[in-house]
Amino acid sequence: MSAFPSISANTLSTADRARIDASTRGPVLLFFGSALFWLVFGLALETLASVQLILPWFLEGISFLTYGRITQAATTIFAYGFATPAAIGAGIWLASRLCRVELDHHKLLVSAGIVWNLGLLIGASGILSGDSTSLPLLCLPGYSTPILLLSYLLVAIWALLTFFRRGDSPLFVAEWFLFAGLLAFPWLFAAANTLLVWNPVNAPAQPAIAYWFAGGFVNLWLAPMGAAAAFYIIPKASGQPVASHHLDLLGFWTLMLFGSWTAGASLIGGPVPAWIQSAGVAASVMMLVPAFAIGVNLHLTLSGHYATVGWSPALRFLATGIGCLFAYWVLNAINSLPAVNAVTHFSDIGRALTVLAFYGFFAMAASGAIYYIVPRLTGHEWPCHGGVAWHYWLAAVGVGLIVIDLLTGGLIQAYALTNPIVEFRSALDFIWPFRFMSAVGFILLFLSAANFALLFAGILLDTRKNAAPAYLAVREADSTEPVAV
Amino acid sequence: MKKLPSLFFGILVLFGSAWIGVVAYSYNNLSVLEPLPDEETGGTLPPTLPGLAVIGEKVYAANGCVECHSQQVRLAPLTTDIAKELGKRQTVARDYLRRTTAFPGSNRTGQDLSNYGARNDDANAIHKKLYAPRSVVPWSTMPSYSYLYEVRKIQGQPSNESVVGLTGAAAPKPGYEVVPTQKAKALAAYLLSLNQSYALPEAPPPPAQ
Repeated sequence: MSAFPSISANTLSTADRARIDASTRGPVLLFFGSALFWLVFGLALETLASVQLILPWFLEGISFLTYGRITQAATTIFAYGFATPAAIGAGIWLASRLCRVELDHHKLLVSAGIVWNLGLLIGASGILSGDSTSLPLLCLPGYSTPILLLSYLLVAIWALLTFFRRGDSPLFVAEWFLFAGLLAFPWLFAAANTLLVWNPVNAPAQPAIAYWFAGGFVNLWLAPMGAAAAFYIIPKASGQPVASHHLDLLGFWTLMLFGSWTAGASLIGGPVPAWIQSAGVAASVMMLVPAFAIGVNLHLTLSGHYATVGWSPALRFLATGIGCLFAYWVLNAINSLPAVNAVTHFSDIGRALTVLAFYGFFAMAASGAIYYIVPRLTGHEWPCHGGVAWHYWLAAVGVGLIVIDLLTGGLIQAYALTNPIVEFRSALDFIWPFRFMSAVGFILLFLSAANFALLFAGILLDTRKNAAPAYLAVREADSTEPVAV
Repeated sequence: MKKLPSLFFGILVLFGSAWIGVVAYSYNNLSVLEPLPDEETGGTLPPTLPGLAVIGEKVYAANGCVECHSQQVRLAPLTTDIAKELGKRQTVARDYLRRTTAFPGSNRTGQDLSNYGARNDDANAIHKKLYAPRSVVPWSTMPSYSYLYEVRKIQGQPSNESVVGLTGAAAPKPGYEVVPTQKAKALAAYLLSLNQSYALPEAPPPPAQ
């Protein structure tokens, strides 16, 4: 099918693979476990905030439960409690597998995981107790971020060591994404914190830098890490090589170029130089190129083998996640057109797109990776396939409800917010029923996360002694790896 | 794409381009903006802020006000912000000059606050709204910030700082008064300082329609 077949499928023996997997067990399970704990906690706060949006008197007047604080805490906990540790956990395992080296110094990584979670605990408590910086995706107070950066440094040193120990084999596409993500995150995080939190530059320069970070966090950190997992696990679990090497190249390099330039599209008509806005709009529209290159490539890979998505939880979650990433980039491109953005900016459409990127794309893709990786570390299967199906459908329906309601409601709200003869109050009245439905969606998302956390506890404790993999349907096709999902 | 160094170099160049274009450019060109002389008053534009307003910015950040309130009037005629009377002119980078942190915001669940101080000059009215939003505007979706206030027994004379005119369920019991804490006073001073009604050469008011 391709001149560039999926490497390591035939060259690494099952025993070698098992040895590599076993060497990563401690740190990967630590990062995944803590990620799921924070996911549940963050979604509890997110649900509470979404209820407060429709019932503003709900738990009001309590400082640490006020809407502004919990919504910032929830976003921060998702980004740094769930998304980043899940990406690091998957990244450690992927790097070991792809570079075909057993993990050394895993105590270093376990320490990094503990330090990271301590840092986030301090930071999240700081936000709730009133130390938030209120910068987009950078709410963590300045005293907690050095701890996170220190922890990441330990991971990065280890990752570099692994990459240098790899053999002479050509780099597989998943490795490009992995390498890019691991490189981009410290650059984004350290630079943004230095310039905005620790030693803030003068306020006029801040908005452009803040949105450079916020855009980069999704496009250069979450997206490459999700893509790395997809480009490794989808071919593995479906038994098909990645369809096109040319689309690999196109998708990867256009993502790196345009993904880093989108900042200006968040400030259209706002207080930044016009050319930064134009560059941001152009980059956001050009994100259609990586969206189609990555989306079409993975679709062609699975094309004719979509039955695997039916039975494999890993594939189903990953395919849904990549679908949401594609939808996010397309909708974001439309929303970045100045004529559209002039109306839609400041409405709930922005919230809908954030939910699509965070919970639709990343949480789904990371769940897929976790479903694939964890049985290979513990040596036994997920406790029950019913629980997996519940997790999937609650998450899918929850994300769908939130995104569709906030997009449609956001359009009406946007009209009210921009039409000079419509009163401000009408915007709130119009959006109310849609926000009500999105609160229902967040409750479903919370339940799906809680369900996932229970499954994770189940597989760690091996409660059900499940010998058979937790397939979602009757398995029809064969995978290159006989064990697990 | 066979070797690590070429991959590393490629990422560095592409990522570096945006780093130079967006971050370094902003740093070099926007963080060096200076206040302009104000010929009418002999002061500067934007005007200097009272110390309490500078402290109030921390309270604004601490409570996540930016999640619902933007502070930017966008370009006309691309947007209708000026027609909606959020301000008389576009917000430009220099308007944030006196602030420690710029809060352009990304959601308008609440009103835009760029010119809040031009619409309101009564600190007591702001305190009433922060303490009990729906006693002032029945359809308001703003949560109460009553934790920034102290309800206390009147000792002798009522405090001259106490919030007056609270009605309905928000009114304190007889013999009690609602007094703003230092944080509430700072927040009110910050809100009053949000005012871009001075002229800047880079943002002329759009011609009347």
